[in-house]
Amino acid sequence: MYELLKSVMAEVLLLDVDEVRPDASREDAGLDSLAVVELSMVLSQHHGIEITDDELLELETVAEIVALMEQRKRPAAA
Amino acid sequence: MTGATGSADRAVLCGLGYFLPDRVVTNTQLCERLDVSEDWIEGRTGISRRRWVEPGEATSDLAVEAGRAALKSAGSGLVDAVVLATTTPDYRCPATAPDVAARLGLSGVAAFDVSAVCTGFVYGLATAAGFIAAGFAERVLLIAAEAFSTLLDPDDRTTQPIFGDGAGAVVLRRGRADEPGAIGPLVLGSDGDRSELITVKAGGSRLPFRVPAPDDGSQYFQMRGREVFRQSVERMSAAAAEALEAAGWQLSDVDRVVTHQANARVSAALATRLGLRRDAVTQNIADVGNTAAASIPVLLAQAASNGTLEPGHRVLLAAFGGGLTWGATTLTWPELEVHDT
Repeated sequence: MYELLKSVMAEVLLLDVDEVRPDASREDAGLDSLAVVELSMVLSQHHGIEITDDELLELETVAEIVALMEQRKRPAAA
Repeated sequence: MTGATGSADRAVLCGLGYFLPDRVVTNTQLCERLDVSEDWIEGRTGISRRRWVEPGEATSDLAVEAGRAALKSAGSGLVDAVVLATTTPDYRCPATAPDVAARLGLSGVAAFDVSAVCTGFVYGLATAAGFIAAGFAERVLLIAAEAFSTLLDPDDRTTQPIFGDGAGAVVLRRGRADEPGAIGPLVLGSDGDRSELITVKAGGSRLPFRVPAPDDGSQYFQMRGREVFRQSVERMSAAAAEALEAAGWQLSDVDRVVTHQANARVSAALATRLGLRRDAVTQNIADVGNTAAASIPVLLAQAASNGTLEPGHRVLLAAFGGGLTWGATTLTWPELEVHDT
């Protein structure tokens, strides 16, 4: 999921991800208030992961975003 | 939607001009009061500088200059109607278009304003095309002019750096659908359920100006940025796809894409969403900011003037604005004489 996030950041958001580490802050990774909107749209449309931009803005690190992506990716409890 | 290509019931672009006020406002000039850095502004908007009117300089002053340039480009000062798309009319009443028409020596012709915020130019194209198709006019002068800086809260970092002032204008004449410059099928839409996203609340009938004026920012332009970003990308990409389909064009047919210059980040997201070729995306936002309704005709005029737009190019136009409103259309670029101002 970390690799998915990095690939979306690099290929869709056109961010430089070479220096991004899991403990990087969201802002330092380039995920500002507009980038989280685009990330939210792309995760929903292309990867079936529903996370609102409000939720993304509350997360402080890349690792926290990855954790929420993993949680939301899980199919609904059977 | 090919229509009868032989019948002369279409609007054809035959004149183009623009005008920007003299006063250049750089990011450096805005930083201190807004307590942000130049990088903060540039990174979030892609804007380096914008033009603002001087105190006392009004929308009509910009509109007259752009209109004059478009009439000169068209080679004739005669039109049957003047349509002005603006968010910032000179007065609450009357409309600004009759004054502009009179100052262009066109007193007596039909003249009125169109209000669709940043989609105003595309709505104006539909209005002008309708006048021509219905037989009400042979030639229409469509101007989009904004003194948007007059709406801005001087302490609002989310709006103050984004907007610029300016005017662009086109002359449309009666012609055939298969001519270069013929305006293609128009896609227009609105979503009033989201009217709250982009507002200037005070001064209308719901919240008339009182003395003292309300102190809650309601007299200023207000925008819910993140939701506007999302809506603008989704609505413009959908409208653009619909306009292409209606025109019978593939995305790969498009040589130049001219979208409302809302924010460089919106344009980048839109290009990614639509899968546009980099060289097709036409931009000027770094130097003029978001000039609202004027953004598309100003960009068309600058691009035609500097050779980015060439005769024969297949051009896609798309806009999004308050209302919400959105619109898109297509045209093949005609031979035009555009004078740089």
